[in-house]
Amino acid sequence: MRIDNKYSGWQLSALVLLRVLIGWHFLYEGLSKLFDPQWSSAHFLLESKWIFAGMHKAIASNPSVLSVVDSLNTWGLILIGLGLVLGCFSRIATVAGMVLILLYYFSTPPFIGIYYAIPSEGNYLIVNKNLIELAALFVLLLFPTGHIIGVDRFFHKLRST
Amino acid sequence: MDEKKENSRSSPEKGIKRRDFIQGLATLPILGLFTLSWLKKTAHDRSRKPAQSQRAVPKDLSDIHVAFLGTGEQGYILLNACLKLPGLRFKAVCDIWESYNQRRAAQVLKKYKHDANTYVDYRDMLSKEKDLDAVIIATPDFWHADHAVACLESGLHVYCEKEMSNTLDGAKKMVETARRTRKLLQIGHQRRSNPRYLHCYKNLIKEAGILGRITAVNGQWNRAVQPDIGWPKKHEIDTATLNKYGYESMHRFRNWRWYKGMGGGPIVDLGSHQIDIFNWFLEARPKSVLASGGTDYYSKDTHEWYDTVLAIYEYETEQGVVRANYQTLTTNSSEGYFENFLGDQGTLHISESANRGGVYREPTAPQWDKWVSLGYLSTPAKVTPPTTAGAVLDVRETIGPDRHGIPVTLTDPYHMPHLENFFNSIRGIETLNCPHDVGYETAVTVLKVNEAVESARRLDFAPEDFRA
Repeated sequence: MRIDNKYSGWQLSALVLLRVLIGWHFLYEGLSKLFDPQWSSAHFLLESKWIFAGMHKAIASNPSVLSVVDSLNTWGLILIGLGLVLGCFSRIATVAGMVLILLYYFSTPPFIGIYYAIPSEGNYLIVNKNLIELAALFVLLLFPTGHIIGVDRFFHKLRST
Repeated sequence: MDEKKENSRSSPEKGIKRRDFIQGLATLPILGLFTLSWLKKTAHDRSRKPAQSQRAVPKDLSDIHVAFLGTGEQGYILLNACLKLPGLRFKAVCDIWESYNQRRAAQVLKKYKHDANTYVDYRDMLSKEKDLDAVIIATPDFWHADHAVACLESGLHVYCEKEMSNTLDGAKKMVETARRTRKLLQIGHQRRSNPRYLHCYKNLIKEAGILGRITAVNGQWNRAVQPDIGWPKKHEIDTATLNKYGYESMHRFRNWRWYKGMGGGPIVDLGSHQIDIFNWFLEARPKSVLASGGTDYYSKDTHEWYDTVLAIYEYETEQGVVRANYQTLTTNSSEGYFENFLGDQGTLHISESANRGGVYREPTAPQWDKWVSLGYLSTPAKVTPPTTAGAVLDVRETIGPDRHGIPVTLTDPYHMPHLENFFNSIRGIETLNCPHDVGYETAVTVLKVNEAVESARRLDFAPEDFRA
């Protein structure tokens, strides 16, 4: 992948804005889970439908596995969020973010014929906000900005010297 | 855009320059902004929880010495709740069912390193145990008066299960003894200490006046058909012991709640808890009661008290007349148990069962945004519009009200806060939530239902009836 992208000022600003917004979202999702003693992914996993349903239900029914999954998820969200906001290890953060969102998307996909007990906040047919955030991260992967506006600039600089 | 500027690329010069620092850390302030927003949000969330009762940490944790008198099903529940409370030493267990109730309780206490002596006779326990401070009484109703009076006379503070007594004479004796001995007597209407009920009473009804003028109340406890309670044959109590303690047979010992002279039937066992809430939330005692009931389903030989009771009370509150109906069925469990308080501005639906409960705003009432932002109510749940499929909607129908959740939930065992209130009152850092006078008023209110069923007419209460 070429990373010597040449962006106009507006292009760069828009891409950094997108990166920071998604980072903010991840960071807050992670922190609010970390500081909510009641939170557990169990409810989400039990709601799971489609191909991951069996695996997710198995995770939810095993307390020790569940607690590992919970902390992996929480810390994953926090670290990805920090990475995106600060532009630090932004490629790893972007890919990890995509994987995580893909998991969320496939556990509760808005597919035809699948119904959920918990109502969603909007109306979705195949495309939902998870999928859009995933696509946005894909854009960020192809148009990286961390090496220009972000901590990655230092690594980039050190590597090129 | 084909005009790509070079200015945003990393500078070609070697080494890290000032410009690299500025651009490399350009988004750091965003993190600062995030932290600021996050702190503000957590502070706001915290301020929205005014009603979540903080557990008072007793300053004086010197151990209170406790005895259990009666360790059957209810006594065992209380014992387990007590084990979670700090600063208690359990010194004695008394139950006439030596090989079962008594042994089970003693074993649990032993497991938690409490060295408790065991007794069959309460008089024996009271004469031998000289360093007791308090006793938890969970014996059948017809024993409450004798047990509570004897314990109070021995200088003990008493937590006595409801119903206070199966007779008003018995309840009166308990009140008189508690007054004379100046010992605490808490009656086990445990909802009075439940943070969820306290929130509804203090914050929603009293402070926010969220229901407006309460005009009607209804409540119920419906239970599915149950067989008579049995017992393991090898643990049967000998007839002499049973007779000595007032039981004709093992069947009566196990099923005392259904027999006249021993219990009061479901209206007293179950209804008492909820009718107590009627009095509490309305801050009034009823003026009259009429009731219908009978043993309609079970055998009258084993179910002397009524298996089905419907009662209607009339209250005269400061705001006006309130009519309250209560039903208890033991033949069908539909809708379980709850209390509904219906006012001209809203409805409070509450139950000891934590998965029930909600507050509904009348469409004509002022908005409740203020109480939502204060954390008194949860944000209303999305109300699903009525389906039009196959049904004709009538324009005269009013739309369903918003359903708000009650944001306070009891996460401990149901009886724990009430027991804690009792022990903290002994320590002098709280006052009893259900002292003898309140227990007496409830006993008067509830026992009258059985009388009303029998007389088949409306019975009036005089204000002095509620004073022992």
